[in-house]
Amino acid sequence: MGVELPGGGTSARTGGILGAGSPTFLTTKVDYVVNWARRSSLWPMPFGTACCAIEMMAAFATDFDLSRFGMERMSFSPRQADVLICAGRVPYKLAPVLRRIWDQMPQPKWCVSMGACASTGGVFDVYSMVQGIDTIVPVDVYVPGCPPRPEGLIYGLMMIQEKVRRETITRHYDLREEDPARVAMPRASEHEIAGLAGPFGNSTRQNQLAGGGEVATTTGSDDLDS
Amino acid sequence: MTQDNVNGLDGVDAGPVPSDAAGSPEAGAPADPSGHPSVAALFDRFSDAVTHHEISAGDEHVVHVLADRNVEILGWLKDDPEHRYDLLRDVTCVDHGGGEPLRVVYQLWSIPHRRALRVRCLLELDALEIDSVTPLWNTANWLEREVYDLFGVTFRGHPDLRRILMPHDYAEGHPLRKDFPLRGRFSRAEQTRRALEQDVDRFYIPAERAVGREPQEVTLAAEPSGDSETEG
Repeated sequence: MGVELPGGGTSARTGGILGAGSPTFLTTKVDYVVNWARRSSLWPMPFGTACCAIEMMAAFATDFDLSRFGMERMSFSPRQADVLICAGRVPYKLAPVLRRIWDQMPQPKWCVSMGACASTGGVFDVYSMVQGIDTIVPVDVYVPGCPPRPEGLIYGLMMIQEKVRRETITRHYDLREEDPARVAMPRASEHEIAGLAGPFGNSTRQNQLAGGGEVATTTGSDDLDS
Repeated sequence: MTQDNVNGLDGVDAGPVPSDAAGSPEAGAPADPSGHPSVAALFDRFSDAVTHHEISAGDEHVVHVLADRNVEILGWLKDDPEHRYDLLRDVTCVDHGGGEPLRVVYQLWSIPHRRALRVRCLLELDALEIDSVTPLWNTANWLEREVYDLFGVTFRGHPDLRRILMPHDYAEGHPLRKDFPLRGRFSRAEQTRRALEQDVDRFYIPAERAVGREPQEVTLAAEPSGDSETEG
């Protein structure tokens, strides 16, 4: 890949103190410290647009208290945030705002899609709604529910922490590179997004993907009889 | 749809009425105008412009007026001391599909007389234009923008007729019309591409963006001298 690794090597094969193929004492310990620090102080950026945000607020409040997991501080500026929590439905008019907030967050960053609407569009399979924010931004954890209970969000965030714990700088070094040319571009391919517009929406598409037939790719009409 | 539902709860037992049963825009049986003083006065004064009157949901008086005389009639309803409908509660629009004319609905409320009136104007689909009532009620400004955005009705004389809910460069039409497909006219991929191409900074016009950029002068009324003890 030609990336100069921090330890002096150029790839996982050719070594360097941090780039060795097998984990060394130093890399494992560095990983441990870095990941412990990261996962113990994740700062969420709340992007609450609907009723899921109410459950998100409940998760932040005293009964459930996300502070126990190091998420003491809500970061209402994306510049200081680590986790984007998209709670609620996202209309197309809001899509560039969500994408800009994601682009503004510094690496390393993670994204939680909270609830059915953020994950798939939910019942809003209509002209104005984004059919899953993963067509806009990369999502690490989907929390199902309509809306999910606070325990669900906490579980999703703990899965993020688990994901952070397993990262290592030797293997995931260039995982987080971003292509500046892709800023504000759709993340999913045209084929994938078009597949979301099947005659009966997402649920049918999921049935189709499970073996029920061909995935509709190009329908833009509302003709339910065809 | 009938006048049988004198008590609003009666309709619960009858169940929902399919919208096809509504038939023509003036399907409601004509009601007795003397039950509502404003309706009776409208029939007296604008007998050539008031085409229909019916009672909906028990006690909601609905008056149909000619669309090209809406400002004249609504202005009279607002300013006449006997009626004084000084609160415009809503401007909205109904499309029943099937090529029927659109109905622009004005929901009026008279604060002095505590009286409600609903005024409808029928607009044929090939002539969706009506005069703006923004000069009468400032409230109508955004409400008419909403009707324009979602139904495509052009309000003549509106000071700032732009889309208000949909993106300003939305190219798929007017979504609440019955002839608009549920998922829009473009493919999801095209919709997503267009959505991400929106310039967020252009959500507002320059005049709106200028608000707050420059320090605004707040002129306080001169404090009356020596009266500070009387406060609170």
